[in-house]
Amino acid sequence: MKRPELAFVWGGILLFLGVFLASQFLNRYLIHILVLIGIYSIATVSLNLTNGYAGLFSLGHAAFMAIGAYASTLLTFPLPLREAYELPKLPWFLGGPDFVWPFFPALCMGGALASFAALLIGAPVLRLRGHYLSVASLGFVVIVTTLAKTMKGITRGPMGISAIPLYTNIYWTYLWLFITVYVIWRIVHSRFGRAIMALREDETAAQVLGVYPMKYKLFSFVVGAFFAGVAGGLYAHFTKAIRPLEFSFFLTFQIVVMLILGGMGTTAGPIVGVVSLLTLRYALKPLEEHLKIYGMIELIYAVLLIVVMLWKPEGIVGRSPGKKKRPTRVLEGGGSHG
Amino acid sequence: MLKVEGLTVKYGVIPAVVNVSLEVREGQIVTLLGANGAGKTTTLKAVMGVLRPAVGKIFYRGQDITSLSPSLRVRLGIALVPEGRGIFNRLTVEENLLLGAYSRSSREEIVKDLEEIYLLFPRLAERRKQIAGTLSGGEQQMLALGRGLMARPQLMLLDEPSLGLAPLVVRELYTLIEKIRDQGVTILLVEQSALVALGIADYAYVLESGNVKLFGESEVLKSLDEVKRVYLGG
Amino acid sequence: MFSWGYFLQQSMNGIILGCIYALLALGMTVVYGILRLINFAHGSLITVGAFFVYFIFFRAGLSLPASVFLVLGFGGLMGLVLDTIAYRKLRGGPEVALLITSLGFYTFVENFMKMVVSPQPYAFKTPPYLSIMYKTQFLTFRSIDVFIIVSSIIIMLIFHLFVKKSKMGIAMRAVAENLEIARLMGIEVNRVISLTFVLGSAIAAFTGFLWGAKYGQISYDMGFLTGVKAFVAVVVGGVGSIPGAMLGGFVLGLAEILSIAFLPTRFAEYRDGIVFAILIVVLLLRPAGIMGVKEEVRV
Ligand SMILES: Nc1ncnc2c1ncn2[C@@H]1O[C@H](COP(=O)(O)OP(=O)(O)O)[C@@H](O)[C@H]1O
Ligand SMILES: [Mg+2]
Repeated sequence: MKRPELAFVWGGILLFLGVFLASQFLNRYLIHILVLIGIYSIATVSLNLTNGYAGLFSLGHAAFMAIGAYASTLLTFPLPLREAYELPKLPWFLGGPDFVWPFFPALCMGGALASFAALLIGAPVLRLRGHYLSVASLGFVVIVTTLAKTMKGITRGPMGISAIPLYTNIYWTYLWLFITVYVIWRIVHSRFGRAIMALREDETAAQVLGVYPMKYKLFSFVVGAFFAGVAGGLYAHFTKAIRPLEFSFFLTFQIVVMLILGGMGTTAGPIVGVVSLLTLRYALKPLEEHLKIYGMIELIYAVLLIVVMLWKPEGIVGRSPGKKKRPTRVLEGGGSHG
Repeated sequence: MLKVEGLTVKYGVIPAVVNVSLEVREGQIVTLLGANGAGKTTTLKAVMGVLRPAVGKIFYRGQDITSLSPSLRVRLGIALVPEGRGIFNRLTVEENLLLGAYSRSSREEIVKDLEEIYLLFPRLAERRKQIAGTLSGGEQQMLALGRGLMARPQLMLLDEPSLGLAPLVVRELYTLIEKIRDQGVTILLVEQSALVALGIADYAYVLESGNVKLFGESEVLKSLDEVKRVYLGG
Repeated sequence: MFSWGYFLQQSMNGIILGCIYALLALGMTVVYGILRLINFAHGSLITVGAFFVYFIFFRAGLSLPASVFLVLGFGGLMGLVLDTIAYRKLRGGPEVALLITSLGFYTFVENFMKMVVSPQPYAFKTPPYLSIMYKTQFLTFRSIDVFIIVSSIIIMLIFHLFVKKSKMGIAMRAVAENLEIARLMGIEVNRVISLTFVLGSAIAAFTGFLWGAKYGQISYDMGFLTGVKAFVAVVVGGVGSIPGAMLGGFVLGLAEILSIAFLPTRFAEYRDGIVFAILIVVLLLRPAGIMGVKEEVRV
């Protein structure tokens, strides 16, 4: 086995030990926070593939999480409650009306559906240059939340679904986080990964070398969506209730801030970002509630984002790109003119 | 008129021009020769202020202009006609010319100069409302020159004006350049093909991978074996 | 069920919404043309402008013309501040840095407003002389509708003339086409870019006032979707084209209003979804938009 793989084996064992100790010795509140950190980490690590390594600036993660959350919930929802909640029976190709999916395959299915949606939305949009993807994927978030609000027969509309079985625990969460990190690490350190990074740096040059942008971009987008869907499923089975509003643009925004603060395009960056921001959030929460100034935490997130972009755009973990290609030009920013 | 002293310009960490010194006397045509990638364009951009030198100083009429912005340099009377002409393809011919006069304020003078340019380049006059992107290569070069002149420069930097033009058009262009010189504009002319450039220049510098390799009176350079062999195909 | 009277009435509503989108799209398209930036912060100016007018016009009791001038000035100032403290520093870096910063700025303003004015929507009472009803054979409308249409036409006309004829306008187009060469001409690129932000932001703040006066309600988050839809209008009309932006605004406004007017009522909730569905269809069929030219790859 090669060294990095070995590191993953050891890392996995250590992670498992850590999780075991945490589950034995920490109180419920702390475990609750740890699980949320795990779920957000899955979302952020997967966003890193699309936005960090492939350089596509997607804002659609909340939509993929919504798809994963709703789909997995519908699959695992207990039979007796289905009727009471007026939730649809499963069609024959999903196992029929009397079938209830186990947790793991249901999560995978949620991820797969999110991937499929990414394929549909990515195929037209990724052909275009620039940041159309940002707007189109944001539009996709609006479409998905609109559908979640309006397709009452499936989603119960704005009030959402509650009484979802509590399946997510710290073990499941960190198992999935481990899988996510490993899979994305493998992708990035393969020929494929080098190709997407070449594309990010210089699309024209990469094309000359025979890299076909469309295929690579779409693949990164679809894989990113899969894990976002899984994170959504874990989230639903952790909070036990989901509503369309939770999957709005601000969910995406939080994940984007976590990614950028930690460092886009690095392995550890996304997790560092999640840990710092969620810690900050839970540290400030009592203060926000005490002072009753709601929106303060989002405000702080926004300020942090701007500050990072202006003074340390590579994030906490990222290495400064150094003075690459760019000539020392008399930039618009500096100097005597203007 | 223009004095460059010990100029070094880097792209990131890679130097494109190293310790270049040159001087352009008032009223002269000075040519800067060199193969592709020698650092000619980089030198001109540094003179214009679009690139900031890592080391070195630039003097214009005795004044140190090294830290001035491009727009201030234009105001002082320096104009660059860029490599590949740099026409605004989506703007009309006349809008391009007016942009040349951007740093000037007297409306009447600008209108007067516009008419003069049209006299000098009758073909531009016919096409004044046409979108510049639809002009032929020769016409675009005329437009680029005309636009440069609209700034009423005292020092004009021309970056490979003959590039991609048919020999007949090149001759026409060079006649024009001499005419501009005769009107009192000093010219720093960058070319790859030494043959024509040495024909009209008073003085010449030869750049090779970012360094000044040779310099001297054009007449002298022309007769050097090395120049003949490498640049004049002799 | 189809009646021409109803169609006409709804078309007018669509055109009015289209005016609002078109005004916003103007500012977004010039900024995109120069910086390749989808300026999410543009939407925050709508909110800020609406509340600004609410406080100086309704609370402080300034006259309408004075309020209009002040809101234009205030919006312009915000644009200038945003450009100076944030965007200017990022120019020349990766385009995505600008995009992220504009998102951050939008979120900042939205949450700031939420804290300051409360999460509850405010009723924006139209003054009496703006709510006079007119009834004709086919159409019923209020004076605010006329005000919106007339002021939009005036702004668009001025903007068009400015960009086409004025020295600054020509410089603006030059910067959009080739920033490096524009600098060689002695154009202070920074000043031109700041000006585009000032103009666009001033118009956006004014639009916030129009929105409030027309729809009667303003809230801390009103700018988000409206702003994003304005960019959809830019894309639909053709990126980088000013007539395209206006056309896109009207197309979007009409499509949004007419689709909910003629679809069964239960589809009314799909309103926002429809706009983005249009975007995706346009991107599929005509990526350059209705009036756009294929975007050049910048190297
Ligand atoms: N924007 C740039 N980034 C990095 N290197 C550059 C850039 N422009 C030019 N160079 C390099 O600098 C050197 C000089 O280029 P240039 O001044 O354009 O030469 P010339 O005009 O004589 O052909 C070349 O090696 C070229 O590859
Ligand atoms: Mg050159």
